[in-house]
Amino acid sequence: MEKVNIFDQVGKNKRNSVLLSFLVFVILFALIYFISEVFLPEVAFFMLIFALVFIVIDVYVSYNYGDKIVLKSVNAKPADERKHRYLIDTVEGLAIAAGIPKPNVYVMESNDINAFACGKDPKHASICVTTGLLENLKRDEIEGVIGHEMSHIRNYDVRFGTLVAVLVGLAAIVSYMFLRTIRFSNIRSENERKGGAIILIMFIIAILLAIIAPIVTRLVQAAISRRREFLADASGAELTRYPDGLANALEKIKKINEGKMNVSEAVSHLFISDPNRSPLDNLFATHPDIDSRIRILRAM
Amino acid sequence: MIWWMWVIPLVIIVIIALIVVYYINRIVILSNRIDNAWSQIDVQLKKRADLVPNLVETVKGYAKHEKTVFSEVTKARENMLKAGSPQEKIKAGTALAASLRSVFAIAENYPQLKASDNFKLLQEQLEGIESKIAYARQFYNDSVLTFNNTITTIPGAWFAAMFGRNKTRDYLSVEEKERKAVKVEF
Repeated sequence: MEKVNIFDQVGKNKRNSVLLSFLVFVILFALIYFISEVFLPEVAFFMLIFALVFIVIDVYVSYNYGDKIVLKSVNAKPADERKHRYLIDTVEGLAIAAGIPKPNVYVMESNDINAFACGKDPKHASICVTTGLLENLKRDEIEGVIGHEMSHIRNYDVRFGTLVAVLVGLAAIVSYMFLRTIRFSNIRSENERKGGAIILIMFIIAILLAIIAPIVTRLVQAAISRRREFLADASGAELTRYPDGLANALEKIKKINEGKMNVSEAVSHLFISDPNRSPLDNLFATHPDIDSRIRILRAM
Repeated sequence: MIWWMWVIPLVIIVIIALIVVYYINRIVILSNRIDNAWSQIDVQLKKRADLVPNLVETVKGYAKHEKTVFSEVTKARENMLKAGSPQEKIKAGTALAASLRSVFAIAENYPQLKASDNFKLLQEQLEGIESKIAYARQFYNDSVLTFNNTITTIPGAWFAAMFGRNKTRDYLSVEEKERKAVKVEF
């Protein structure tokens, strides 16, 4: 394994975030231009301006409100001051240990043991855990998991991860919307035969997009280095000074989790353990093998 | 004609200047981080001291006769608030933690007290503060380590000496007893 330190990781995440935003910008722009040029040449110029405005807003919103969108999409609720006292104290304590501001704390309903962090930087970050985690893990195990998430925040993994979820995930939503518009445009076409041909072509493109978008999401998720999970495990253990806490938590995750959480595929890479196990995992796994993570932690 | 004869020295001077600025800034930032780490500890120590009167009132309601314990813990709190230097504060904080433990020890004899919601909440809060103090000390010591490493290794040591910031900072000792007290299982 290549040696990485936190400063390298922070720089890399910032660069990757810019690169990803730029790529999404170029691809979406090209796509909208191409489609409008082919099918609606008379309004192509207008479409270009529309595309520009739309994409700028999209990137801006994803960057600044991505965390809110992700939290909303998994139906996370702010942690209760009284009921989740220990959780909040642990997050606050580990934030002090990591030397970053205290992130917001959220809880989501699920029987699986899982957790994720999101946000654009350590000043605007959130940590969310499942109710299953609170029920099944002992305190030092919760501490281990929070330490792992805290490292993701400190390393700026959250910035890139949240952007991937919202920017790339949006491609899937856009392609679905595109599919819907085609059915709508059917009514307006004047020339039945010509219109029919155009609709057929657009339909094929829409289907292609609908298929490609989730695959692209997957590829980007798989390309997000698995090393960052190992790095977060290691620096999380450095914060809690107790690697066995996280190792025990991972063992329980392996035993208890069913991997059928009700969350979008677009956000799955944010979680500490894969929330949706799927047959695709053999090809492009979004998470590193849990056994090797436990082994490395035990050896610390 | 021979322009490079003055360009090359100029470039070298600029590079050296940049390196000096980088290291000086780094040393200042790392030193500030230690001060910030101390203020984190200070905040938590103060929060703990603030909880003491509340705790004493709650316990008094159930265990009136344990006067010595109450006066001890109140005195420890006063010492804590009077303490000035970081070393003094740490010492007073350790003493306060010890007297708080004796308060929780007597609670063992009063089942009604132990069962009361207010007491449970206070216990939980104090425990949270204890662990935050432990983490804050850890961050403090981590910051001291980074600072000391920077000003004692080459090339940082040269620049530190040049600008008179080559004095290493002291670690806070973490007492084993105190750390164990944090891990109370319910």
